[in-house]
Amino acid sequence: MAAAMRAGVGRLGLRASWRTAESMLWPAGVAPACLRIPVRTKKKRFFVPEWARELTPEEKERRLKSLGTMFPEERLERTFYLACTADIIDPYVPPEGDARLSSLSKDGLKQKVEKLKQTAASQLALRKIKDHDLDFSTKTFPEKAQEIFIEAHNCLVNFNKQKLHSLVTERCYPEMVRGNRYKTIRWSFVESLEPPRVVHIRCSSIINRGNLYGQVTVRMHTRQILAIYDRFGRLMYGGEQVPKDVLEYVVFERYLVNPYGTWRMHGKIVPEWAPPKDPIIKTVLIPGPTLSPSQEYEETK
Amino acid sequence: WLAARSFFPLSCIPMSTYLQKLGKWEKKNRIVYPPQLPGEPRRPAEIYHCRREIKYSNQKMWYLAKLIKGMSIDQALAQLEFNDKKGAKVIKEVLLEAQELAVRKHNVEFKSNLHIAESMSGRGRYVKRIRYHGKGMFGIMKIVRCHYFVKLVEGPPPPEPPKTGVDQAKEYIQQLRNRTLVNTL
Repeated sequence: MAAAMRAGVGRLGLRASWRTAESMLWPAGVAPACLRIPVRTKKKRFFVPEWARELTPEEKERRLKSLGTMFPEERLERTFYLACTADIIDPYVPPEGDARLSSLSKDGLKQKVEKLKQTAASQLALRKIKDHDLDFSTKTFPEKAQEIFIEAHNCLVNFNKQKLHSLVTERCYPEMVRGNRYKTIRWSFVESLEPPRVVHIRCSSIINRGNLYGQVTVRMHTRQILAIYDRFGRLMYGGEQVPKDVLEYVVFERYLVNPYGTWRMHGKIVPEWAPPKDPIIKTVLIPGPTLSPSQEYEETK
Repeated sequence: WLAARSFFPLSCIPMSTYLQKLGKWEKKNRIVYPPQLPGEPRRPAEIYHCRREIKYSNQKMWYLAKLIKGMSIDQALAQLEFNDKKGAKVIKEVLLEAQELAVRKHNVEFKSNLHIAESMSGRGRYVKRIRYHGKGMFGIMKIVRCHYFVKLVEGPPPPEPPKTGVDQAKEYIQQLRNRTLVNTL
């Protein structure tokens, strides 16, 4: 009983507790002469295993070296490669009335003879392009551009996707191809009314400073035949016997820094004064306001 | 094409939106005919549409499919709207979807100019479950599903073939044969 009392007292000074216990249990006269009390003198050693201990920096280093070289985890990055820009940089604004004036008037002659030496920006860009692409020249490029244009449209007609990707940039491809999956397209190039010429050059870099893309706008005045047939072989748009005169400003782009880059079609610039396109053959319903059964349409106007 | 998504690499991971396995009816919408010559009569547009795994019985759906067969689309929609069956609502949705598809994708000019050439119902996947009865008895219940297929063709519905004299005569003879005495031995 005495031992139990002592254990319950806890960490107090052993002697003090012993005395109070004794005085409580046995009043002064009855205290025994000697009493053996086991005392815990051994130090309780708290054992922390080596792996849980906090190591000093030198110990850490030694440990890491002993384990062997550890390769850093592969970072979950997806590298991407920009093969083309997202939009036409600084689009060319075609002069109004282009190809509308007859070549006999003074203005018409001026337009024909117009050279590229208009803007300084175009000249700078031209110089930059010539640094990277030695064969480039404003005199030979338009014919190549027209060839690329014709080839691309022929690929579109034949649905030759592999070749089309090499002739047309990734920005232009969905614009050309969307909606054509279950349709038949017949396109042919009749002739070129005026020789194509370079009208606008721009050069810019995306993300990093040296990442150059060159864009060249070529003006083409051509005669083409277009006919689109739907899934069932019925004519949807255009006609096979009707050649149309088309004035287009086609933008070609090339990734200049890539030594294997090629000039590819990037997009078209449609001026605001362009004549409206031909209507499609079928009639389309334009949804009007929803009416309740008692209302008339004329009342809502 | 990577240009527009250059700053978000994870968005380049393609998300496959196509179905697991396309059925035969859905694939019928993919055939492309060669362009017609100017002298040929205009080929009418055909639109195939279906809905799979409708929670309704195949046999009950058959009655509605048979009702609609051969009607123009407006008449079919009107009939289904005032039909009390559960399948009627579903078929009406399917017809409206098919009409939308026809106008948008398949170059149909007038949405009322369609008629229903084929309308069928098919058995879907059945699932067996336990139906608990009293006294510890049980029965095996089938959860029944069906598919519904419809083919819309452009143009007014085909006219019914006129009744010939031979048919009328056959009907008359059949009526004579059906005569019987009722409530006798």
